[in-house]
Amino acid sequence: MSKSRKSAMDVNLLLAVIVLLVFGLIMVYSASSYEASLKFDDPSYYLRSQARATALGVIVMLIVSKVDYHFLRKIAVPSYIISLFLVLLVKTPLGITRNGARRWLGVGALSFQPAEAAKVGVILFAAALLCGKKGAKITNDWIKNIITMAAIGGIPALMLYAITSNLSSAIIVFGIAVVMFFVASPKYWYFLLGGAGAIGLGALVVKFVTGGELSPGAGFRLTRIRAWLNPEAYASGTGYQTLQSLYSIGAGGIFGKGLGQSTQKLGFVPEAQNDMIFSIVCEELGLFGATAILILFMILIWRFMVVANNAPDRFGALLVVGIMGHIAIQVILNIAVVTNSIPNTGITLPFISFGGTSVLFLLGEIGIALNVSRSIQI
Amino acid sequence: MRKRRQKRFQKFTIKMQKKLVVLFIFVLLAFIALSLRLIKIYRDKGNDYKKQVLSQQQTDSKVLPFRRGDIVDRKGSKLAYSEKVYNLVVDAKQMNSDDGVHLEVTLNSLRDSFPELDVAAIRDYVSKNPASRYKIFAKKLTYDRVEPFEQLLKNGVSANTAPKSSKGSKDSKDSKDSKGDKDDKAARTLAGVWFEEDYQRRYPYNSLACDVIGFVQGNNAGFFGLEEYYNSTLNGVDGRQYGFMNEDAVMESSIRPAQDGNTIVTTIDTNVQSIIEKHIAMFMQAHQNEYREGPAADNIGVIVMNPNNGEIYGMAGYPVFDLNDPSNMDGIDLQYYMPAPVSANAADAAAAEENTVEEVPVDTVSENGAEEKQEDSPETKAKNSIWRNFCVSDSFEPGSVMKPFTIASALDSGKITGNETYQCNGYLPVGGFNIHCHNRLGDGLLNIEQGVAKSCNVVLMNVAFAMGKDEWLRYNRIFNFGLKTNVDLAGEANASELTFNEDMGLTDLAVASFGQGFNVTMMQMATGFSALINGGYYYQPHMVSEIMNAEGAVVEERSPRVLKQVISEDTSAKMRQYLRAVVMSDPSECTGWSARPAGYTEGGKTGTAEKYPRSAKNYLISFMGYVPAEDPQVLCYVVIDRPNVPNQAESTRLATVLNKDIMTEVLPYLNIFPTEPLTEKEQAELAEAAGDFSTGSDLVSGNEVQEDSEIGEAGLNEDGTIVIPAEEEVQRDSAGNPISENKIRYDPETGYPLDPATGEALDPKTLQPLNGDSSVLPF
Repeated sequence: MSKSRKSAMDVNLLLAVIVLLVFGLIMVYSASSYEASLKFDDPSYYLRSQARATALGVIVMLIVSKVDYHFLRKIAVPSYIISLFLVLLVKTPLGITRNGARRWLGVGALSFQPAEAAKVGVILFAAALLCGKKGAKITNDWIKNIITMAAIGGIPALMLYAITSNLSSAIIVFGIAVVMFFVASPKYWYFLLGGAGAIGLGALVVKFVTGGELSPGAGFRLTRIRAWLNPEAYASGTGYQTLQSLYSIGAGGIFGKGLGQSTQKLGFVPEAQNDMIFSIVCEELGLFGATAILILFMILIWRFMVVANNAPDRFGALLVVGIMGHIAIQVILNIAVVTNSIPNTGITLPFISFGGTSVLFLLGEIGIALNVSRSIQI
Repeated sequence: MRKRRQKRFQKFTIKMQKKLVVLFIFVLLAFIALSLRLIKIYRDKGNDYKKQVLSQQQTDSKVLPFRRGDIVDRKGSKLAYSEKVYNLVVDAKQMNSDDGVHLEVTLNSLRDSFPELDVAAIRDYVSKNPASRYKIFAKKLTYDRVEPFEQLLKNGVSANTAPKSSKGSKDSKDSKDSKGDKDDKAARTLAGVWFEEDYQRRYPYNSLACDVIGFVQGNNAGFFGLEEYYNSTLNGVDGRQYGFMNEDAVMESSIRPAQDGNTIVTTIDTNVQSIIEKHIAMFMQAHQNEYREGPAADNIGVIVMNPNNGEIYGMAGYPVFDLNDPSNMDGIDLQYYMPAPVSANAADAAAAEENTVEEVPVDTVSENGAEEKQEDSPETKAKNSIWRNFCVSDSFEPGSVMKPFTIASALDSGKITGNETYQCNGYLPVGGFNIHCHNRLGDGLLNIEQGVAKSCNVVLMNVAFAMGKDEWLRYNRIFNFGLKTNVDLAGEANASELTFNEDMGLTDLAVASFGQGFNVTMMQMATGFSALINGGYYYQPHMVSEIMNAEGAVVEERSPRVLKQVISEDTSAKMRQYLRAVVMSDPSECTGWSARPAGYTEGGKTGTAEKYPRSAKNYLISFMGYVPAEDPQVLCYVVIDRPNVPNQAESTRLATVLNKDIMTEVLPYLNIFPTEPLTEKEQAELAEAAGDFSTGSDLVSGNEVQEDSEIGEAGLNEDGTIVIPAEEEVQRDSAGNPISENKIRYDPETGYPLDPATGEALDPKTLQPLNGDSSVLPF
């Protein structure tokens, strides 16, 4: 038996990532330079910070892409446990509070969001669990399936929500688990049922929220739902960010005002270089630029699908599916927030939004996907 | 080996691959849905949002207004300045912030601090426009009123409340979860009110020099006078305060300061100006409703200037208005300033054909007047006519004040030597009909000096004929008639269409020699006359001598500018001699003796121009005088348009006396000292209250010689002279022979006196032709 030939890594995937990274750096600079020059007297403050994280991330990606992904199966359980432990650490003095939310861990000048690590931990753990040692773990056994789902998605999501009160990360983590479970499971009706249930629950919540007067003590999340339904009425408060984001999209038009020409980034759109960077893209590059970004992400996701479907084994495929789920969910939710298609919740746009931890872990995941792509046998 | 691996690692089954494709399709559909959503937002709301973006750029970065520069007089007194005031601005978004905890306390404080505010209206506005960032609810508050409220804004209502870091900290997005801390402090903190700086133009002397200064409307837009002419100089550049939200959602700002406007130093002397205005006001009072219902004159204008450098000391018209409230016309009966129906004038103009000169208000006030744009109601027109500066914006036929220009032109061009004599028979036949002298009986043999002193039309016509049309026109242009003087005031009239050109005929030349048939402005006359008497130097008239920046440094100096030499020094000296004779001769030999201020020598020239339509017997009387006669230091030009007296033609004395009254007060003030001994009578007069203003019109009595120039429709002319009823008073007939009352022949049938020269019947009282129309020729 001849030694199997291995293909080169997936160049299309790598190219899409590089274009997104470069584009992201440009947009971070454009969106943040005004605020950075006012706050730090250095317009490239955010750019340099992001560029450092990106450089580090690229190195991590290259290293990871060289490591046989089967090694990851061995460390899947420890990394899952460690990542959840890191989430717990937020409550210790190591935790850092920013913008009124305690979601960071810091040692000296370094800081990172354990939520990002948790996403990777969940992907590894779920991939390992869903192809267990003795073949498919997914059976028709209800109890077993629920336990599996709870292990791969439920527990981490609950922890993120309870400990860091970070609903968005919880949703993403749970979403990743659902996507992986969906692909691994032979069933459809579970998910149809689950999806219908989720939609029904959402409708109920909306009905409850809009039905009567909100008591003043009602959580800010409920207020956000109201602001989502009628942002103009909450223009001075909860709806402000959403409304400003919509203004930016409207102001951009088809071809936009031109790179760097956004006026909304001059203090009007909060988190312009962060959650809301897509609205600045829309304002500066218009529908044209926004669609181009969406197409880039679509190419990336398509490559993930191709890599997963050609992966030599289920573990590799599920890893890529998890990564694909992660990126797809974040892109969809981010743009949905920017376009006020769902209630406002802080989700960053992969590769483009400012955020060192995020880009570092994302590039690590890309490294894994690249490694899987290298293992494809022709 | 491969088999082993396949055993250890499960295959990614076909079924899973299919599910992955399904997942991919879901993602693709989601992406497409989001793209459609983007397009929908753009298509449905794109324009609204675009506008919203533009509007919030404007409201969130606020303008820091510049301070418009001052206008000061030659001694530095402020004629106009801008005072800082405050507009109360409500930011509904801020006021509603933090679930409205600040609303009540803010509204209550507003009610306490500004009782005149309609707090209910603010409450209403704030609840209906929660997104509004900018609405002005009170304007032009002074600092004293604003300051206490500023303290409240800073410290909250209770004294023990800690000051807030920034008033902008409340208008933030609802940042993660810093909600819920609504304690007392928030309820005692005001929000959503701030004060916008603005400036209010103030004129400390109210109506003084109103026509010259002009006023400011709206956003520092100058209207009329210096405010309009120097608008861009006085205005600065607005600054801007940019607001932005930092990471902690706190409003911060960066500031580009405003650049204040420049200050202009004028040549106006506030005291001279107020002397002029005082005497104009006294005149207007004295003759109001005298002969007809209405003001003492349709227009009146006085310019006092330095003939040696073109600096204008004072300039005034009537009626005056309060610059601080220019639209307030209380006390002015606007009906007299509304435009007359045009039909009469138009008919006349048609009849006048060749002689197209028409009494039209020329050129005009800037077109940018907001009020002028909307098709002017009569009232608006009346207001505009009150705002405009008669001295530069209106043109008229100058009458005999023009005569010195004709003489000077003839002398300077060498067409006459000054030694000529002319026989005046009271009229001169020109082009087939007789053009009369004001003294229809004739003045006899006159030399040039006498001709000027007596204002003899016949002499002037002869001089003009000696020059010829071309030479007269050449000098007309040398004196810049028909051109603007470019005095630095807004709205100078352009009379270029109202002067003679090469087409002028002999009759035109004849009447032009004594100032009829073409239009000038007061400014042109005063400027040209200055050149006649100062050695021939034509100075650009000006109101501003220096421009200073906001810090007080001189950025531009406007020194006197000689534009050209119009006549020689010798001619000018001769003109001073002639013009001296107009005032300083024996009252029986001159027309201007009553203009002389006691103790001074004065030169000058009277004028009585008959207005269109000639049949209406309306006159514009004037006097141009300067002191001292030998070395002119001050020039004063008085024009009274249609004085409200029974016989306007003989009311020139009104102008000369006004000149005298103004000169009497202005001269000592300008450090020009009397050189002549005072008679007892003069001393007595001076001792009397300076304000006692006698018009002298009551002195006009029956035995005066009347002058008239009426020759029909096109009629010409002129000069109101007052001849004193002295015992040696000599009346002359048209042939220049002295006549006396008993020598006049009377018509045996009617009992009317007859002109010894022509045999025309004369009015027994005025000795004017009864039926002057008998000599009318189609013109």
